[in-house]
Amino acid sequence: MNRNFPDLSVTIGSLSLKNPVVLASGTCGYGAELGDLLDFGCLGGIVVKGISLEPRAGNPPPRLVETPCGLLNAIGLENVGIDAFIRDKLPWLMGMDTAVIVNILGDEIGEYAEIARKLDDAKGVDAVEVNISCPNVKSGGAAFGTDPWAAADVTRAVKSATSLPVIVKLSPNVTDITAVAKSVAEAGADAVSLINTLLGMSIDIDTRRPSLGNVFGGLSGPAIRPVALRMVWQTVRAVDIPVVGIGGISDANDALEFLMAGACAVEIGTATLVRPGTAVGIVEGITAHMESRGVPAIKDLRID
Amino acid sequence: MERMIARFDEKAEIIEHCQAAEDIFVLKVAAPAVSASARPGQFCMVEVKAVGSSDPLLRRPFSIHAREDGGRLSFLYRRVGRGTDLLSRMRPGEMLNVLGPLGRGFRVRPDITPILAGGGMGMAPLLFLAEYCAGSMDTFTILGGRTASELTGLESFRRTGTRVLVATEDGSLGTRGMVTDVLDGLLKTLSESAGQCEIHTCGPWPMMRAVYEMASQSGIPCWVSLESRMACGTGLCLGCAVYGTEKILHVCREGPVFHGDSIRWRDGQ
Ligand SMILES: Cc1cc2nc3c(=O)[nH]c(=O)nc-3n(C[C@H](O)[C@H](O)[C@H](O)COP(=O)(O)OP(=O)(O)OC[C@H]3O[C@@H](n4cnc5c(N)ncnc54)[C@H](O)[C@@H]3O)c2cc1C
Ligand SMILES: Cc1cc2nc3c(=O)[nH]c(=O)nc-3n(C[C@H](O)[C@H](O)[C@H](O)COP(=O)(O)O)c2cc1C
Ligand code: FES
Repeated sequence: MNRNFPDLSVTIGSLSLKNPVVLASGTCGYGAELGDLLDFGCLGGIVVKGISLEPRAGNPPPRLVETPCGLLNAIGLENVGIDAFIRDKLPWLMGMDTAVIVNILGDEIGEYAEIARKLDDAKGVDAVEVNISCPNVKSGGAAFGTDPWAAADVTRAVKSATSLPVIVKLSPNVTDITAVAKSVAEAGADAVSLINTLLGMSIDIDTRRPSLGNVFGGLSGPAIRPVALRMVWQTVRAVDIPVVGIGGISDANDALEFLMAGACAVEIGTATLVRPGTAVGIVEGITAHMESRGVPAIKDLRID
Repeated sequence: MERMIARFDEKAEIIEHCQAAEDIFVLKVAAPAVSASARPGQFCMVEVKAVGSSDPLLRRPFSIHAREDGGRLSFLYRRVGRGTDLLSRMRPGEMLNVLGPLGRGFRVRPDITPILAGGGMGMAPLLFLAEYCAGSMDTFTILGGRTASELTGLESFRRTGTRVLVATEDGSLGTRGMVTDVLDGLLKTLSESAGQCEIHTCGPWPMMRAVYEMASQSGIPCWVSLESRMACGTGLCLGCAVYGTEKILHVCREGPVFHGDSIRWRDGQ
C-alpha cells in the first residue's frame, strides 16, 4: 500500500462507494438542483429527497426556523412520488458518476414495500435508504422508528421487495437507539444510517405562536452533532452491520470524528444547504488527513 | 433540467459598506462571476458571520440592488436582527461568501411600460430593474416609506432615467400617503395608455397585495417579489414554501418574482 495514496473506497454490504462522503436526504433535492454548484463525480453518493408512493404537498408554511447552531424544519416530506421520480428525476442522476441511494417513506408497511419493488425494477438505483421516522398511520401514528418491532417489520417488507442493498435510517427520538438498530439488523438490514433529525420546537414571542406551521420540527446542524456522534458510537458497538454516520457534519474534522467512532461512511445534510460545496471539501480534507498521517484505508481510522 | 443559468458560490471582497440611514446599509462586494450572470429581481445568499463559525448557521437572502462596473454588486439592507447586525459590522477588505444569482427575476417586455412600485426595503431589487429598463424605455418608479430619511438612494433611481414618484406616510417627502395612493393617481393620468403598462412590485405583503388588487382592477399585469424564510436559496430544502392559488410555491426557485395571479393573497405572510 502506497502511503501517499490512501484508499478512500468503502463498501456497505454489496454497495461500493468511491469514498465515504454522501449527501443526506432532503438537503440535496433530487441532485439536479445542485448540478451547477457541485461536482458529483467527487462524491461517494447521494441520497435523494424522501420519496413516497403518491406525491405529497408537504406542511403549511412557515417550514423553517433557525436555532442556535441549528435548523428546525417541518417540510412535511414534500415530494413528487415514486413514479414521477423514476420517470423525471432518475435519468439525470444516472448520468452522474456517483452512487444513487433512494430514501423512501410511507404511512404503512405496504407502501414501503411497493416503492421498494418499483425501485427494484428501475435502472440506475444503487441502494435504498428506509426512513422509519414517519408516523405509522395504522397503529396510531407513533413513528415506525420508535418501535423496534415495527421497524423490523418495515425492514423485512422492504428486504423481500427488493434485491438492492437496504440501509435503514434510524430516528434519534428514542430512549435506546441500539435496540432499534439490533432489531432491524436481525430483520435483514444491510446497514443502518443515523441520525435523522431530533424533534424540537420554537415559539415566536412577538406573535405568541409556534414558529413552524406544523408546531414541531426536526432539528439538524452542528447543534446535534455530539448527540449523533454518541449514538453512532453506541450503535457501531451494538451491531455487526455497517453504520453510516449523520448529524451536523460541516467539515472534514467533523466527518473524521464519525469515521473514528466507527462509521463506515458519513452523510452531509444541513451543511450543504449553507454551502453547496461542503461535501467536496470534506472529501479533500479526509484525503489530506489520511495522507499526512499515513492512514491507508477508511476502516483504519476507527478507534476502540 | 432544473435551470440553465449558472450560479456561483463566490468568495467576495467587501469594497464599500456604508450606512445610508439609521439601520439601513449599502454593501458593495466584488463578485465578478455572480455579477456577470445576474438579472434584475434575482437574489444572493450572503454569509453574515465570521469564517468557521456556525452561529448564525444560515446565510441571509438579499436582493441584488445594483450591478456595477468591475464585477461588483451592491445590496441594500435593513438591520432587523442578529444576522444583519453582524453583517453591518463587517468592513471593507473582509471576505464574504456570496451565492448567486438565485431565483427567477422580473420578466420585462420591450413593448410594455414598466411601473416599479417599492415600499421600504422593497426598493432594493428595483434599482437594478430600473437600470435594466430605463435605457431603452419609458419607466415610472414609485417609492414609498414611513418618512423621508428612509428613502435613501432616490438619486440613484433618478440617474437611471426613470421618472421617480415618492410617497411618505408622514408627508415629509412627496405625496403624503402610501405607494398605492401615488399608483392610483398615475394610473388615472395614464388612463388610455395604462393598458400598455406592467407593474413590478416589492415591499411589505399588505402593500404588494394592495398594488396587485389595484392592478387587477385596471386589468394590468402585476409581478410581485416575495420573501419567505430560507435555508438554502437553491431549491434543495423546500423550506421557502408559500401558498399559491393552485399549489405550494417555492420562493427561491419558482420566485422570488411571481405573477400576482398565482399567489393566494388571503393567506398572508
Ligand atoms: C428573496 C429575498 C430577498 C430579500 N432581499 C432583501 C433586501 O434586499 N434587503 C433587506 O433588507 N432584506 C431583504 N430580505 C429580508 C432579509 O433576508 C431578512 O431581513 C434577513 O434575513 C434578516 O436576518 P437577521 O438575522 O438580521 O434577522 P433575524 O434575527 O433572522 O430576524 C429578525 C426579524 O426579521 C424577520 N425576518 C427574518 N428573515 C426574514 C425574511 N426572510 N423576510 C422577512 N423578514 C424576515 C424575522 O421574522 C424577525 O422579525 C430578503 C428576503 C428574501 C427571502
Ligand atoms: C430540510 C431538511 C429535509 C430533510 N428531509 C429528509 C427526508 O426527506 N428524509 C430523511 O430521511 N431525512 C431527511 N432529513 C434529515 C437529514 O437527512 C439528516 O438526517 C439530518 O438533517 C441530520 O443531519 P445534518 O445535521 O447534517 O443535517 C432532512 C433534513 C433537513 C434539514
Ligand atoms: S430556501 Fe431551500 S428550497 Fe427554497
